[in-house]
Amino acid sequence: MSKLQLITKGIIKENPTFVLILGMCPTIGVTSSAINGMGMGVATMAVLIMSNMVISMIKNLVPDKVRIPAFIVVIASFVTIIEMLMKAYVPALYASLGVFIPLIVVNCIILGRAEAFASKNGVGASALDGIGIGLGFTLSLTVIGAVRELLGSGAIFGMPMVEGDGIMPLIFILAPGGFIVLGYLMVLFNKIAKR
Amino acid sequence: MELMTLLVGANISESVRGAFETGSVSVQAITLVAIVIGAIFVNNVVLSQFLGICPFLGVSSKVETSLGMGMAVTFVMALSTVVTWALQTFVLAPFGIEYMQTIVFILVIAALVQMVEIVLKKVSPALYQALGIFLPLITTNCAVLGVAIIAVQKDFDLLTGVVYSTATALGFALALVLFAGIRERLDMEDVPSALRGVPIALITAGLLAMAFMGFANVVPLP
Amino acid sequence: MVVVLFTITAISALLVALVNDVTKDAIAEAEQKNKDLAKLEVLPSFDGQAEMNDTSYQIGDFTVNVTEVKVDGKILGYAVEAPSLTANGYADKIYLMVGFVEDEAGRAKIHGVKVLSQKETPGLGANMIKPGNKLESSILGKYADDLVFKVKKDDASGSFDALTGSTISSRAYANAVETAYAGYLMKKGLLLNKGNVAVEKSAEDDMDVKDYEHVTDDPNAEELNAEEDVNTSDEGVESVESVEAIEAEGADATDEVSVDEASVNEQLDESETQKGEVNNE
Repeated sequence: MSKLQLITKGIIKENPTFVLILGMCPTIGVTSSAINGMGMGVATMAVLIMSNMVISMIKNLVPDKVRIPAFIVVIASFVTIIEMLMKAYVPALYASLGVFIPLIVVNCIILGRAEAFASKNGVGASALDGIGIGLGFTLSLTVIGAVRELLGSGAIFGMPMVEGDGIMPLIFILAPGGFIVLGYLMVLFNKIAKR
Repeated sequence: MELMTLLVGANISESVRGAFETGSVSVQAITLVAIVIGAIFVNNVVLSQFLGICPFLGVSSKVETSLGMGMAVTFVMALSTVVTWALQTFVLAPFGIEYMQTIVFILVIAALVQMVEIVLKKVSPALYQALGIFLPLITTNCAVLGVAIIAVQKDFDLLTGVVYSTATALGFALALVLFAGIRERLDMEDVPSALRGVPIALITAGLLAMAFMGFANVVPLP
Repeated sequence: MVVVLFTITAISALLVALVNDVTKDAIAEAEQKNKDLAKLEVLPSFDGQAEMNDTSYQIGDFTVNVTEVKVDGKILGYAVEAPSLTANGYADKIYLMVGFVEDEAGRAKIHGVKVLSQKETPGLGANMIKPGNKLESSILGKYADDLVFKVKKDDASGSFDALTGSTISSRAYANAVETAYAGYLMKKGLLLNKGNVAVEKSAEDDMDVKDYEHVTDDPNAEELNAEEDVNTSDEGVESVESVEAIEAEGADATDEVSVDEASVNEQLDESETQKGEVNNE
């Protein structure tokens, strides 16, 4: 697989949200607005690239039986370290992305990619895979967030799209709307991607 | 002017005034019953807290398997809350290393799952047969870690923590079984091809979540 | 097998501990800076040098901190840092910085509110951090003694417009404003006080607050305790380290204050004034 393919496959062919169906919890949990979806996506991408690289570096040292616990520990430490560093040195960035960081520990995308890709491939390829999957995740989350924000509060990226003080169906930024919007977007994605 | 001095602060509620006067916050005790109802219905872990959605979508095509998964999760969640509570109270907090929480908890859960698997295999092969395949899946169930962390965050004592986590797990099982029941029926219907599989499952879950919103404000949340 | 897992865990734990050690002070500093900025943001802009005098009240695991801000010997206002004392948000307590400014008759108006920390749902309760949100705009500029600390949705007489779909978060916000107002009244001696003793800083005694306040287990409370104290007296030479002085330059006399950048100098000689930038948007 070429380097470019490694990156682009995450966007359509192996889109983590719509095709691999990974990381559903943060997907539904944070996408109540476009900017939140994007924030979560970017934060996840950063962790994913680095955790993929670390996992691929240590893959030969870890016996198969304790693979999952070992990977989980590595990822959890990683996320904790990133959170501390952000808090200390880029508090402004932490203020906007901070709430998402602890959620990444329980995001199965990270472990999923560690298992499926990083534990079988080299460091460089794993980093590219992280970029690709991260991009796909960011794009999907931004789109879901934008749709929910538009339907639920009549705005996209905080910019009002609906005239006046119209009452919008709030249900779309609550839990049920998350499931439903994701479901229909998946239908749309399948239709377009299959063509 | 005197009158004004008397009136000033009249809008401060008794509870806040009392807290300032006594120097302590009197926590309104929430009964265990309220915690149970809150965790199962009002704040259902899957349908309103967005935790454990992956197994929710993955293991819910049959009522029987979803019951097995629900039981396995209940068992591990209750057990892991006991262990993580003890670790938090007797190790992490006294030594001031709370920042290790995520790492320690996740390791505990992974180890517990492995242990439960081994013990079950020896003690009750029948139960192992029934739960066996679900156990490894639980390690990656974010609801287990999420609940362990929430139980510590909310300063529950051991009993309340265990009741809370068990009820949360029962909420998970309830959502899973209900959902599986609906999906079994759906399989017999003529669903448009683009919607088949995960999309229709998600939309169904959305409708189920909407139904659960009816429980909002039934009990005070912890 | 077990050895490998143990080694990996040990190395990870060591790394995390190391990073924690390195970043601990920087994190505390960043949080302190954030609080100092918030104090200025919730009060009117000013020209000249500000003196800050802190009084804190310990309530269980929580601290309510009242900062009296004086400019040229005149009281500018009070910035009160308070948790939602008797109400929880959806996820945790909410911490606010609320600015009170007194009019000629001595009645306190809410001049500004800044959310210091919250863990509410992104897109719903977390909207309380957005400038000009419904909660904030429903109380800004109002007399604090006129407020009814309830959400309109629960009680028609309430002063707070709830954030859409976030009644629980809004209740906690109202409760935090109430706590802040109670703290302000305590400072003014207007609220009944039977048992709790205020911790007031004097110039002779320039240690950290946490040195003599009983330290609690709650990390939030500890973080609040780390508040550095400041004196008001003129014997500043002896307690140079605790004087925070801010000189504002080019600040317009508009009612709305928005501080983008201000340098809060902890070590400052009386004779040598340091300049900070206060930009008005």
